[in-house]
Parts: sequence; C-alpha cells; structure tokens
Amino acid sequence: MDNNVNTAAPVKEIKDSTGYIRPQDSSYGKAANAAAIVFFSVLTVAAFLPVLLVIMSSFASEQSIAEHGYRFIPHEFSIDAYKYLFRSGSTLPRAFLNSVIVTLTGTVLGLAVMCPCAYALSRKEFRHHRALMIFLLIPMLFSGGLVSTYMVNTQILHLKNTYWALILPGMCSTWYLMIMRNYFRTSVPDSLIEASKLEGATPLQTLWTIVLPICRPVVMTVAVFQIFAYWNSWYPALIYIDSNHNELYPLQYVLVNIDRTIQAITRDAAHISGMTVSDLPGTAMRMAMVVVTILPIILLFPFFQRFLRTGMTIGAVKE
Amino acid sequence: MEKEPRPEKKHASLSGANKKENRQLNLMTLPTVIWYALFCYLPLFGIFFAFKNFTPVPGDSLVENLFVNSEWVGLQNFSYLFRNPQSVSVITNTLIYNAVFLVTGIVIPVTLAILLSEVHQKKFQGFVQMSLVLPYFISWVIVGYCVYGFLSTDTGLFNSVIKYFGGDPVQWYQSPQYWRTILIVLGIWKSTGYTLIIYLCSITTIDRTLYESAALDGAGFFQRVRYITLPHLRPTIATLFILGIGSLLNSDFGLFYQVPMDSGALTEVTQTLDVYVYKSLMVNANFSYSAAAAFLQSFVGCILLVISNMVIRRLDRDSALL
Repeated sequence: MDNNVNTAAPVKEIKDSTGYIRPQDSSYGKAANAAAIVFFSVLTVAAFLPVLLVIMSSFASEQSIAEHGYRFIPHEFSIDAYKYLFRSGSTLPRAFLNSVIVTLTGTVLGLAVMCPCAYALSRKEFRHHRALMIFLLIPMLFSGGLVSTYMVNTQILHLKNTYWALILPGMCSTWYLMIMRNYFRTSVPDSLIEASKLEGATPLQTLWTIVLPICRPVVMTVAVFQIFAYWNSWYPALIYIDSNHNELYPLQYVLVNIDRTIQAITRDAAHISGMTVSDLPGTAMRMAMVVVTILPIILLFPFFQRFLRTGMTIGAVKE
Repeated sequence: MEKEPRPEKKHASLSGANKKENRQLNLMTLPTVIWYALFCYLPLFGIFFAFKNFTPVPGDSLVENLFVNSEWVGLQNFSYLFRNPQSVSVITNTLIYNAVFLVTGIVIPVTLAILLSEVHQKKFQGFVQMSLVLPYFISWVIVGYCVYGFLSTDTGLFNSVIKYFGGDPVQWYQSPQYWRTILIVLGIWKSTGYTLIIYLCSITTIDRTLYESAALDGAGFFQRVRYITLPHLRPTIATLFILGIGSLLNSDFGLFYQVPMDSGALTEVTQTLDVYVYKSLMVNANFSYSAAAAFLQSFVGCILLVISNMVIRRLDRDSALL
C-alpha cells in the first residue's frame, strides 16, 4: 500500500497550502452523473435479460413457443409446464430434495471442520502455525489433476454413486480458512480469550462461547458462499454418479440431463393423464425446470447479499 | 497469499498448561488436516499416472495397478500429447480464451468500477453492484439454458428476430465461427460483477480529500483517474493478474462443455484442456493420456504463477503475491 503515498504526496501539499476542502461528494458533474446512471441502468437490465427470457418462456404455452419461439413477452401465457412438472413422477421433487440435502450437509459439515482449524490458526500460541499454513497453501499451487483425483475418490475412498461424492470434495477451502482466521484474529480481543482460558475453558469451548458469537458475520459469509456453491454444483454428479443411480442426481445435474428427464416425465405424465407425448409442454417445461432450480438463489439473494459483499470485499483487502 | 509474521522465538520450556492447550489446538486442526490429506495430497501421488502406461488389471487395487501392473514410459504420454493435432488445438484454445479473459477481466471491471464510484447515489451504486454480481451465482448449467433461449434453431429469440427481418435462420449450435465471441461475452458477463466489487471496494478506501484537492488544483477526471485511482488499484490488479497467469491452462469446464451443449460441431473452437481431459478420461477411458494433460495443466500453472509473481516483485515489491 506504500506505493500510493508517493503519487499522492504532491497533491496533498497543494491541499495543505490552499487550506480548505470543498464539500463535494463526487467529481462528476450533474449531467455526467445522470449519464452514468442511465448507462448502469442499461447494463443492469442487460445482465438480467438472459434470466428474464428463461423465466418468461417458462410461462408461455407450448403452442406459442412452437409458433413464435422463446420471447420476453409470451404470445400466450400458460402455467401448464409447471403443472406437469409437479404432477408427474418423482424425478423433480427427488432431485430438489437431493440438492437440499447436499447443500445443507456440505455447508454445516464444512463449517464444523473449518471453524476449529481457523481458530487454531488465529491463535498466536499455536506452535505449528507456519507449518500448517504451508500445508494448506500447497494445494492452491499444485493439484493432482482430474485423473488421479477421480481414481483416488472412486478406488480408494469409494465415493462413486454416493451422496458423499457430492459433499466431500468441495467441503473445505484454503480461501475460507484464511478469511475466517483473519477475521477471528482481528475482531476478537485477546483479553476475552484469556479470560475464558482463566475460567478453565478448553479452546473448543472458547471458540463456541466467545469467538463464534462475535464472528457470526464471517461464518455466515462462508456459509452463504458454500450454500451457493453446493446448490450450483453439478460437476461431481457428472463424474461420480452413474446414470443407473439417478436417484442421487441433484437438481443441477437433472438439468444437464434434461432431455432424458423430460422423456421420463412425459412418459410418466402420459401414463397418469392418458395424454400423448406430443401434447405435453416439453419446450416450456425445459425452461420451467430452469426456473425451479434458479428460484431459491434469486429468492435468497437479497437476504444473502450483505454476507456476499463481506466475503468479496474481504478478498479485496490485501495484507 | 500473505506475509506471515514470524512466530516469536520457540519457547524453550513450555509450561504444562501451554502444552496442553497446544495439544488441544492441534486436535482442532485435525479434521481439516485429514480432509486435505485425503482430497488434496493423496491425489498428488497420481502424478505417476502421467509417466506410466496405465494398464489396470481388474480386481487389483489402485496402488498395485499403478505401481506394479503398469510400466514406466517416461515422457511418452507427453510427446503423444504434443504430436496430436487435436490436443495442440485444445491447448491453443485454452491459451486464447485465457489471454482474452486476462485482459478483459482487468480492463472492463476497472473501468466500470471507476465510473460507478463516481455516481452520487450510494443506494443506486449498491443496487448496480448486486445486480451485476448475480450472474456469478448462477451455474453454467442454467446459463447454458439461458443461452439456449436465444440460440435455439427453431425457437430461439435470435432466429425469430432474424426471420422477422427476412433473414435466414442460423444453426447456432452447428456454426463454430460465432462461438469464440459467444463464449467470451458469457465469460465476461458472468465474472465482471465479482471483480467489479473487489475493485470498487478498493477505490472506496482511497482518501476522498485527494480527489478534492486534485480537482481544486484543476486536475480533470482522467488525470485524477490516472494519478490517483489507478496507482491505488495497482496491487489489486497485480494480485488478480498473477492468479490469472497461474491458471492460464485452466478453464471453466461449465462454460466450455455445458454452454455449447457438448455440440460436436463446435469442438474445434470450444474445447479447452479441462473438457479434453474430462473426455479422454470419461469417454475414451484413456487414463495416462488425460493424466499427462492434467499434469501439464497443474505443473505449467504452478511455474507460471511463480514466474509472474517474481516478475511483478521485481517491478513493484508491494504488489507481489508471495
């Protein structure tokens, strides 16, 4: 950070000689500010457009999609796609449940594993601090690659076709450990921890009763990042779950396999309602499944954004 | 990541209480250490795959298969890799995309962050940040379907528009010439918000009085950016640049596999090393070959990271990563 001082120095001198600071919040003029607001509004809308197209298309009737294609304002509205999605078969509810199980287990387990370690790393009296840091940093530089990871996970750890294959590989990260350690170190006064020790608390008790309540923001931040990461993950399912174990598929992977899934649903639906396959809203259903998958994220996003910002900005501050 | 303060001198004699506490702290790190051992360090031994002709005997354990049943072939897997025109094109693709992302990943977010930081309305600022970062939290699978909404040959929005203006519909998923642009735009769309927030956060730590006095002194907008903002952002830019160089051979699997819907007609422009490694492993079951490619990725990445860090350290000590 020192390098800023050099460039800033001459400016500072001039300010001192002038002797006053104009109460001005920004360097834009009024017109420029308005232009910037328009520009960023357009950009924001552009960022949303792709998602909007999917959401709107899921509410289009099958016929209007066939005739007019996917549109931002469907020619004819219909919620048939959702009706069939929920009425037919167990594929979708099951996948939704799998995603929830994997997300919750992974997040909780990951925090349970990482918090104590981050606490130990944050303590000055912890003697193996340096060695452990190196141990945790090496994997950031060098990894075994997909092939050996795959072989180890399937043949030594036997994770293939289990929930654990979806949970364990993404559970810990050096990145999260570092931001938790830094937060623990800077926001818990040493005197509190010493006092807790004097009362005879073990480090684990101190962590639970003193540190974690104070450091809830950083724990929540890691939790939110993990929740999104697990909810969005499909790669482990792609490589570790075979098609004959599709009862383990998370929602995202069902989408990867969407054509097969739609076939299954239409078969079930045709069975139940006696409709022929061509009557079913296949193209709209595709989009409805995407909406079901993305909805939790969009709904949770406003509540989580505070924590997301913390996580992202912690990353920006370089020590 | 950061410079560790050197721990104080080793206590020659730790008191009993300290010893006990240290043991407990050690124990607290154990689950994490075990996880790293299993999921990060154990696969490191798989590097041997890259130097072996892996011929597994069904029923034998992985260790036996790797060390007893498979013979050493030295660098043969690598020489195949470099003689195969397909893998060369895959490596070229990976490098092209990453080079583009390296530049756009700095220029676009920095520009936007500077512009956004000058907006008066703080609420609007926050809203824009959160809207732009949303794509980051959407999986590539979903993005793939969003893109499908635009590009589907029969029902896509683009073809509807083209037909409306009397043009011929384009078979997007069969036309490789468009996909470099499409993938680059998507890569930027998904990652810009996140980096923008990182830069914006760094900008907000700049002392506002610097700008005010510069303005007073007659410095225009561009001069203030040039002499105050950019120098302040230099360490952050350097950090992200070094990390980007370190992953020059890595690519976002979802972007290059799922978004083009694994379309065979597009592989010449969409296939990157990660997709290639995945396919040679899962589709062609060619272990040694894909292990060689994966090793190359990891090894080259590590070397590049160290070198770029060294160069940056030479140029500007404070901006270096390690």
